[in-house]
Amino acid sequence: MSNASFSRGYQALKAQIDAPIAAYFSSCVHCGLCAEACLFFTETRDPKYTPIHKLEPLRKVWEQEYTLVGKLKAWFGLSTPLHDQELADWQEFIYNSCTLCGRCSLVCPVGNDLSYMIRKEREGMVAAGHAPDGQISAAKRAITVGSPMGVKFPALQAQIKHIEKDTGFIVPVNQVGAEYMVTLSSMEIMNYPEYLEALARIFKHAGKTWTLCSEAFEATNTGIQIGSSDIARELVSRLVNAAERLQVKTLVSPECGHAYTAIRWEGANLMGKAFTFKVQHILEVLEELRQQGKLKTEGLETARMTFHDPCQLVRRGGVIDEPRNLLKTVAQNFVEMEDAGKMNWCCGAGGGVGAIEQAHELKTRVFQRKISQLDAIKVETVVTACANCRITLEEGFEAYNREMPVLGLTELIAQHLVEEPATENAHE
Amino acid sequence: MSTSLGAILREQYGVSRRDFLKFCSVLASSMAISPTFIPRIAEALEKTPRQSVIWLSFQECTGCTESLTRSNAPTLESLILEQISLDYHHTLQAAAGDAAERARDLAMKANQGKYLLIVDGSVPMGNSGYSTIAGISNVDALREVASGASAIIAVGTCAAFGGLPHANPNPTGAVSVSEIITDKPIINISGCPPIPVVITGVIAHLITFGVLPELDKLGRPLSFYGQNIHDRCYRRPFYEKGLFAEDFDDAGAKKGWCLYKLGCKGPVTYNACATLKWNDGVSFPIEAGHGCIGCSEPNFWDAGGFYRPLAVPTEGVAQLTQMAFAAGGALGIAAGVLNAKKRDHAIAERETVSIDDLKRKG
Repeated sequence: MSNASFSRGYQALKAQIDAPIAAYFSSCVHCGLCAEACLFFTETRDPKYTPIHKLEPLRKVWEQEYTLVGKLKAWFGLSTPLHDQELADWQEFIYNSCTLCGRCSLVCPVGNDLSYMIRKEREGMVAAGHAPDGQISAAKRAITVGSPMGVKFPALQAQIKHIEKDTGFIVPVNQVGAEYMVTLSSMEIMNYPEYLEALARIFKHAGKTWTLCSEAFEATNTGIQIGSSDIARELVSRLVNAAERLQVKTLVSPECGHAYTAIRWEGANLMGKAFTFKVQHILEVLEELRQQGKLKTEGLETARMTFHDPCQLVRRGGVIDEPRNLLKTVAQNFVEMEDAGKMNWCCGAGGGVGAIEQAHELKTRVFQRKISQLDAIKVETVVTACANCRITLEEGFEAYNREMPVLGLTELIAQHLVEEPATENAHE
Repeated sequence: MSTSLGAILREQYGVSRRDFLKFCSVLASSMAISPTFIPRIAEALEKTPRQSVIWLSFQECTGCTESLTRSNAPTLESLILEQISLDYHHTLQAAAGDAAERARDLAMKANQGKYLLIVDGSVPMGNSGYSTIAGISNVDALREVASGASAIIAVGTCAAFGGLPHANPNPTGAVSVSEIITDKPIINISGCPPIPVVITGVIAHLITFGVLPELDKLGRPLSFYGQNIHDRCYRRPFYEKGLFAEDFDDAGAKKGWCLYKLGCKGPVTYNACATLKWNDGVSFPIEAGHGCIGCSEPNFWDAGGFYRPLAVPTEGVAQLTQMAFAAGGALGIAAGVLNAKKRDHAIAERETVSIDDLKRKG
């Protein structure tokens, strides 16, 4: 294996330019609408954060390698070839100020999928060795240890023991033939163990069989964030192999945005084959159970609540109604933020931004958008369905001195379950 | 020559005061002048000494002169001609040879700087032998006579824009008056031929007001050439409804539908035919069932065929476009194949990224 180098990066960028990318660059009308869609522009008013500007290195490669105009420009000295320093300078735009939230893709009047392009551009950055250190370390841990935060199975086992003790339920591990295979994010194991407990209660309540897998409990995918299909493929394959071995019907993505994108939307393409099982986000599973009448809740939260939509769920996955239907069964004072649903504003630290140390100040600055959104509706509690959003919200509230509890929707549902199991369903 | 127009009208032609004023009204309305000017026109025409006019004919067909004489007695247009002193017009004058040329010399000397020069026909700039009068080439005659004129009226499309002699391939090198004379006021009365009342109207305007009428960018009086035929055409409603004659003997033609598709140039032709009409207001070409050929516009003879509709591309364009499309398509496919090869090569060359080569070493 050779080391990262500019020529490797350039080669990778060249290889990334497919028909959609060429069409997108050709059809860009330079209207600048994507700027107003980007959190990093609206909160800083700095034009360098305009999404299409973040794609300049990739655009240069496309123009100079694949178009006649670009070749003529180069011959006549009207453009300079891409150089290493340019890529290094662009790290700030390609990683630090882009959460791959996809809001720009939605507003583009000519339909350019800008977040798809940035995702592809990151492939070149990785090969050139310009990925941020924080993400490189996370990726290394994910591959070698099994989790980007370095969580190993024994840590999970300890949590399982706690839960079994608290609830009296068995938390199944490596159960062949279970209906659902549950996956987690390290964040949930370390910071929000209540998530796993909630799942145990819910599956018991609904009378569904489920399991964890000792070799593939971690669903987050640093390969997607850093922008390396090779690493992403390796991580996805662990989950796919486990699900196939355990012969489960459904692989459940945790409360995590990009983990869902990785396995649900990029997974099969990375593997180059169709899955033998279904992939659902936990919210999709819960909504399905609710519709089947297998999720009976009682009591209503009285606090004024809103729901923060994780970008990957609403904009990649279209999971918009599910959380609202679920939340309304347990909350009587549910209000929507402005731009809620598919145009919701990102928390500011998705797509790996949270792992980049140099991006910390910027990430806190752009959180102003979320603060204004929430101030406008005067809520007491924020509910979300992504552990990364959740930690970002908590850190953001602390930075802006706001007292605001943040809840995971799955736990909230679990708290309101009717105590005795739904006996009529148990016979099915 | 000093007898006034009014006196001559009464004494020699027995024209009543009433008829004379009627003529003045017609002139005023045809030139879109306020009715309050009618007495002024009458007064000017009555009192003005007869204006000396020298008429030079170059490469022309005499159609313009014919047009003017067709509006002859007893119509009042012809009277105007009687009232100017037409000192030289080689088609109409009685004198011939040296006597005729002498009449011109005398008129020029007697009215130096005051006479009006009317020209019909274009001037050949190639071999001067193409058109000479009394051994003098047209261009020399024009330059000499124009030097002492107060103003020049270029009658007909040949004098105004070069006309038919100027049409491709223009064997005589024909040009318009305004291409030779640049230091005198020139009024272009275009048309092949022009409407008689337009010629007489402009002369009356010059005699009455002593200044040039307002002109468009081609030097034509706006009062007659300000609107296009199409805008004032009585068949315009059919155009608006999309009812077109497709052939000269189809049902649409019989119903009097718009002649646009049969090549009518009304939409791009500026003239007064649709309002003043011809033969004392009897009719005009479109009313007679034929599209306008655009004769009052420059280069009308070379404008792509009298029967070809305005909006249809000229011949060969469709085929050329097809060829360009095919060539463009072939180039596009070739470029696409090359680009695909390049990308395949890049993909083949790409090395798998492992966690060990995320960072640069050394």
